[in-house]
Amino acid sequence: MSALRELLGDLRGPLLAVGAAVLVGGAFVLATGHNPLLAYGAMLTGDLFATLSRAAPIVGMGVATAIAFRAGFFNLGGEGQLVLGGLAAATVALALPEGGLFTVVLSIGAAAVVGGLWAASAAFFEFRFRVPLLVSTLLLNYPARLLASYLVNHQLRDVDSGLPQTERIADGVQLARWGGSGRLHAGILLVLIVVLVVAFAIARTRAGYRLRMTGLNRRFAQAGGVDLRRLGTSVMFTSGAVAGLVGAVQVLGVHHRFIDNSLTQPLWAWTGLMVALLSGSRPLGVLLAGLFFAAVQTGGFAMERVTEVPRELSRVLQALIILFVAAKDRFRLALARTRRAD
Amino acid sequence: MSQHPPTAAFELQGITKRFGEVVANDAVDLSVDAGEIHGLIGENGAGKTTLMGVLYGIHRPDAGEIRVAGRRRRFDSPLDAIHAGLGMVHQHFMLFDSLTVAENVVFGAEPERYGLVDRAVAAKRVAELAERYGLEVETGALVGGLPVGVQQRVEILKALYRQAAVLVLDEPTAVLTPGEQEGLFRVLRSLAAEGTAIVFISHKLPEVLTLCDRTTVLRQGRVTGTVVTAQSSAEELSRLMVGRTVSAPKIEPHEPGETVLKIESLVVSGRGPDPAVDRVDLAVKAREIVGIAGVAGNGQSELAAAIAGLERPRSGRIRLGSAELTSLSVRERRAAGLACVPEDRDGTGLATAASVAENALMGFEGRPELAPRGVLDSAAIDRRAGDLVDQLRIRTAGVRAAAADLSGGNRQKLVVGRELAHDARLLLVEQPTRGVDLAAIELIHRALLDYSSGGGAVLLISAELGELLTLADRILVMLGGRIVGELARESATEERLGLLMAGGG
Repeated sequence: MSALRELLGDLRGPLLAVGAAVLVGGAFVLATGHNPLLAYGAMLTGDLFATLSRAAPIVGMGVATAIAFRAGFFNLGGEGQLVLGGLAAATVALALPEGGLFTVVLSIGAAAVVGGLWAASAAFFEFRFRVPLLVSTLLLNYPARLLASYLVNHQLRDVDSGLPQTERIADGVQLARWGGSGRLHAGILLVLIVVLVVAFAIARTRAGYRLRMTGLNRRFAQAGGVDLRRLGTSVMFTSGAVAGLVGAVQVLGVHHRFIDNSLTQPLWAWTGLMVALLSGSRPLGVLLAGLFFAAVQTGGFAMERVTEVPRELSRVLQALIILFVAAKDRFRLALARTRRAD
Repeated sequence: MSQHPPTAAFELQGITKRFGEVVANDAVDLSVDAGEIHGLIGENGAGKTTLMGVLYGIHRPDAGEIRVAGRRRRFDSPLDAIHAGLGMVHQHFMLFDSLTVAENVVFGAEPERYGLVDRAVAAKRVAELAERYGLEVETGALVGGLPVGVQQRVEILKALYRQAAVLVLDEPTAVLTPGEQEGLFRVLRSLAAEGTAIVFISHKLPEVLTLCDRTTVLRQGRVTGTVVTAQSSAEELSRLMVGRTVSAPKIEPHEPGETVLKIESLVVSGRGPDPAVDRVDLAVKAREIVGIAGVAGNGQSELAAAIAGLERPRSGRIRLGSAELTSLSVRERRAAGLACVPEDRDGTGLATAASVAENALMGFEGRPELAPRGVLDSAAIDRRAGDLVDQLRIRTAGVRAAAADLSGGNRQKLVVGRELAHDARLLLVEQPTRGVDLAAIELIHRALLDYSSGGGAVLLISAELGELLTLADRILVMLGGRIVGELARESATEERLGLLMAGGG
């Protein structure tokens, strides 16, 4: 029981927040002259496959953020790590089109390493020059996004296409697909495996113990012999690596090429951040919350088709949920744990 | 002692409060009159702080009632209690370091002018209040820069500013120097003379005996007696507290062994231009307890931090056996044979949100029997924590309970027990019994003596002279970052130490 609670966190707060958000969201719909019951009813008709496909990047980015939060470190740079990961994956996949599974593995590995190094560089600045991670991770998003944008507009551009995107990745190095028009892909499974591995690592391993204790009380961990610099750097690397991997999953499994803005437009990183907050950075909680947010978003599309309520309502709902969680816990679950090292 | 009128300022009747399976308060009755200073004593975990939490609206009682000035009350939050005329000075001050004394005092009830805080009026009112009760403070000073004794006065002023008729002080002397303590007692007596009811929570029997009109003793959540202090004695109170009388540990004569810790001309920077630790030399041998005495803030904390590896010294050498510690990380120092009981129990010694078992594991997580191939063996970890809990008689609902749910004394025992378990060659101990009850003190002292006679070297930094005199083979006195004197056990007395600490050696 207590082990389950450790993995999921306390569900009461998030459930209350969801309930309150649904009520307030309903009031919004009512105020715009629509029937909230019809709108929510239409939301429930969202496509399961679409939801799963959407949940993968949200959950993946949520876990990436949660890894850092649990150790008491900020990683607001998920977006940059995601984009560079996607770019690295596309580059490797395009360079070795004949490599089959080997290319797939190498491509995902490259994405993880690039995302990880990008995040670890922020840790380097924190420990070497005392640049707060909050600032550095956030700011590192811009060069990452702009670099990717530049490359895909010039050197890596598919010149036959009118769009800023790379050439299409060879069929042999795309992730396996099944089900409803191919929206189920092996990347979803990969993200699920990552979540389970991270959950196990945090709860049950020595490194996870050090990470948790550092997150709860940095000075305690330090006095007990945890090397903060080493832990912080590896935590940030792992966090960034998961973000990079999500980039690879989207590129190899969904888009089959790197398209400019395709990883930033859907706000995967920021939705992931919200999911991490909502779940108190518990990996399995992230899984649940990520699925829920994905369902709300796909439901939003369905609702827009069936009723005249715009799908932006789903974003309003997301924001309200977080607002209510924050109101209850004042972000203490994840953010307040973070204190600067002395 | 002042003559108190028969009206009760507040009454608690049949208060029961449970936390899970632990009964923190069991049908407790307490009545304090206006103008009375009422001592509330008991071991840590006896339920004093919980009881006052119930009175102050922090905890809601499971049974019983609260009457303030004769009226039955129900407090849902401290705010309700404050409105009802209660004031509390917590062990940990609730002040804003970056605001001035006056701003802190009026916070929450600021005098306003055109919707803005009227600073001039605020400063004037606070100054008047301070003057009236003899609480010397500079109203314009920033609180963060003030000594703890003065910060405490600000806390008292806060309560008085809100016209508290009842003032509860939770172990107010734990952080004070003897001089500051005298000042506090004068203030409390003058407040009582004006009709304020005062609850004085303490562990220290001599203080209670000098200050309090009546004293209520709690043991394991129950009242074991309420006595008129003038007609009581330290023996009676301590018997009521622990159920038996406390004896000082016996120390067998022993020869120290080889040198374990050797510090040479160590310099550690301070906040200001002067170094916090200034060219300190000292050595600790095996089977020896070396004490460091000194008024708080004379470099003891910085010395400890430099040994523990939490602060980098400016120059000098720290040798543990054959290892030079100054260039080593905390983990390497621990591997070289160092264990530390830090001064700041909750800030450094524990992760209070983590479980007892997780707290007991820190520093041991690298051991293969507890984490084979990097995977934690929770059965082994819980078993080990359970042994520690039994050995040190830590009162807890279980090893999976959060450390925060333990009382202060039990948390301290957890830290001490964990560090002793390292069987390190050198044990660095800071304030091992600060805010800890008699039974726990006895247990911790016994443990330190056993550790030393078992071959360990102990460097003991303490503000309690009695503790140093009981335990230490030699006592060094620190003043202004320097070691200004050394007394052997035979020649050390409280007076001689006090003189050295004050710079009169």
